[in-house]
Amino acid sequence: MTVVLVADDDADIRDLVAFKLEQAGHEVIAVGDGQAALEQARSRHPGLAVLDVSMPGLSGIDVCRMLRADPATAGMVIIMLTARVQEQDVEGGFSAGADDYVTKPFSPRELVSRIQALLSRARA
Amino acid sequence: MHGTRSVRQLLTRAFAVLVLLIVCAGLAEMTAVLLQHRVVNQLTTHVQPLQVANARLRTVLADAQRSLRGYLLTGDGQLLDTYHVARGEYHAAIGRLRELAVTGPERASVREQAERADGWWTLAERQWQAPPRSATAAGFVTEGKTLFQAFVAASDSLDQRLARRAASLQRRSATLGWLTVTAVSALTVVAAGLAVLTARRVNRDITAPLGRLVNVLERRRGGDRTIRADPDDGPAEIRAVAAVINTTADKSDRGRAAEQYVARLRADVRHLGYRIRAHLVVDDAIREAIDGLARILRADHVLIRLRYDGSDTPAIFSLHDEHLPGGPLSALAGCDLGWLDTGDAWTTDDEEPAETVHPPDDERAACARIGDGPVLTVAISSGDECIGALTLIRDTGSPWTPVEVRLAEGVVADLGRGVHLARLYEHEQHVVARLKDLDTAKSDFMSTVSHELRTPLTSIAGYLELMLDEEAGALVAPQRRMLEVIARNTRRLRELIEDMLILSRIESGDFRIEKSEVELGSLVDNALAAIAPAAAKASVGVHTEIDRPLRLDADPEQLDRVLMNLLSNAVKFTPPEGTVTVRAGRDGDELVLSVADTGMGIPAAEQQALFARFFRASNAIHQAIPGTGLGLSIVRTIVDNHGGTIAVTSAERVGTTVTVRLPVTAGSS
Repeated sequence: MTVVLVADDDADIRDLVAFKLEQAGHEVIAVGDGQAALEQARSRHPGLAVLDVSMPGLSGIDVCRMLRADPATAGMVIIMLTARVQEQDVEGGFSAGADDYVTKPFSPRELVSRIQALLSRARA
Repeated sequence: MHGTRSVRQLLTRAFAVLVLLIVCAGLAEMTAVLLQHRVVNQLTTHVQPLQVANARLRTVLADAQRSLRGYLLTGDGQLLDTYHVARGEYHAAIGRLRELAVTGPERASVREQAERADGWWTLAERQWQAPPRSATAAGFVTEGKTLFQAFVAASDSLDQRLARRAASLQRRSATLGWLTVTAVSALTVVAAGLAVLTARRVNRDITAPLGRLVNVLERRRGGDRTIRADPDDGPAEIRAVAAVINTTADKSDRGRAAEQYVARLRADVRHLGYRIRAHLVVDDAIREAIDGLARILRADHVLIRLRYDGSDTPAIFSLHDEHLPGGPLSALAGCDLGWLDTGDAWTTDDEEPAETVHPPDDERAACARIGDGPVLTVAISSGDECIGALTLIRDTGSPWTPVEVRLAEGVVADLGRGVHLARLYEHEQHVVARLKDLDTAKSDFMSTVSHELRTPLTSIAGYLELMLDEEAGALVAPQRRMLEVIARNTRRLRELIEDMLILSRIESGDFRIEKSEVELGSLVDNALAAIAPAAAKASVGVHTEIDRPLRLDADPEQLDRVLMNLLSNAVKFTPPEGTVTVRAGRDGDELVLSVADTGMGIPAAEQQALFARFFRASNAIHQAIPGTGLGLSIVRTIVDNHGGTIAVTSAERVGTTVTVRLPVTAGSS
């Protein structure tokens, strides 16, 4: 069981991801913006973060970059969610240090399977 | 050369000397003739008659003496008669001689002869009365002989004198003749020499300077404008002609210089026109016109008043901003231009302006306030509309010539066109900017729409998946069927959004072609691998005929999209047990890719619209085969962007073949 941080400004998607992850047996911290995500990540040290790229205030990419910059959170597994398929988004996400990338609309099933794969690899 | 002489003097002197010489020669000749005449006259009328008369007297006396002596010796009375006859003739002969003798010596000689003759005659009278053949008679003969011989001696003396005189006259005549010939010859030679000299002087002093004048005129006619006649060459009359030629040449050169000046002005104005029309900003065109006019037409102030479209207050421009409040042109700048019409021109020094030009009093007063110099105002027109006025002002000096007015009108015509074009250009720029804004807004809109649609789609598709996975509880069959309909339409909506987004990005140029060397064969392999599950599911057989290598310059991602769209279409529209055949090969400089299926085909009437957006064949709609109608549009756009061509042949219920030709080295983008 891993603590997973889910950050998305859309409550429905946040609930969807949280529901699916809880079903898979993870503990979920769900937040609605980048600032809250940063605070939760620093206080509770989740093992994995699912960050929406386009959030008001701090974007997912900003949060990702800040988490990677902080030694305390640098080892966290990070998956980005985005509605855009432009290459610069993908490049921006990876250059900020994301481990994987999922574009909306996505299959919750596939998201969870990718998360499991990343976690098992991180533990290995 | 020489001092100033005139042709008249030269010719007068030369001909006077010649005439004098001719007259001298004539006089000399005449004198000689007169002298000769006198000599001859003296000989014939005086000397020779004297000789004749002397001889006659001597003969008469000799006859008398001979006949008397004969009578005295013979007593022959006949001889005495002869004596008397001679006695009778004697008086006539001596009278004749006295008559002819005019000079002193002659008269003395004649007197002596007469005395001696009288002496003899006195004796003779006595003799004949003496009896013939007497001693007295014989004595008389001897006495008479002495007296007679004295007479003969006197006669001989006269004769000799006369003979000398005749010889002297003949000598004089000969001398005179020789002198005459010599003098006339000398005069003739002198006259001829003088004539030759005159001819040479005429040639030197008249013909040569005239020739030089003619040369000057011919060289001027030949184009040498600098040459002038020498005003100090030749006699006065030729100098006068030279002066006239030089004056005329100067005048003509001044006229030519004036013409050249006007021509240069015209050229300057023409170039100014080009520059004005080259400007794309109204203010720049006006500034060019103001500076150019001030320079070319030597204006001290230039004012342009322009009525902008729709605005009542004209825009004002001036050479040194003299139109600003307090400036010398501020009053004129405020004047209304309603009086000015297309084609009008007015100068303040024009006493009788054209009938249509009626400048109002405030305009006249404003012009008068600027100064004493001439003010020229010309209407600026765009098409048939007067859009403003150009005013040129000289503080002092020459009035505006008709040439300058025409040149100003020419510039104004160019300015009118320039302003018109610049306004059009500015308008066009404005429209282009708006279109660009619109285009950006459209792109932004598409992006936003795509993002905003994806987020709800994520929720719909995600929760649908949870329900279909029965994570929210078990489903009954009708519920599952309905949820699957929702899922199918969600997928369709998603594809539609994706295709629209791709098409929009390709068209906006955002979707740049990233060309590299691509092996089409490998792309086909990948595409076939990707489509294989769908083909297997639909029981469609896939065949390939590929002639490798198939290298070309292209964007691999875009080509992959072309292959995927074509293959998925072929599989989608082919019924179970049908086949899809992919062929790829090289044809000259092109690669040919064809995808053929044995599907439902496209109705012939609809093939025309095949590549139009959102086109869907009626039979596909009828059979409810899902699709967005954007796939072939995307394929076509990508092929076009690679400089290739696409063609479709299709027959309903037989199949469709799509053939794409791509250049190996793509030239266009």
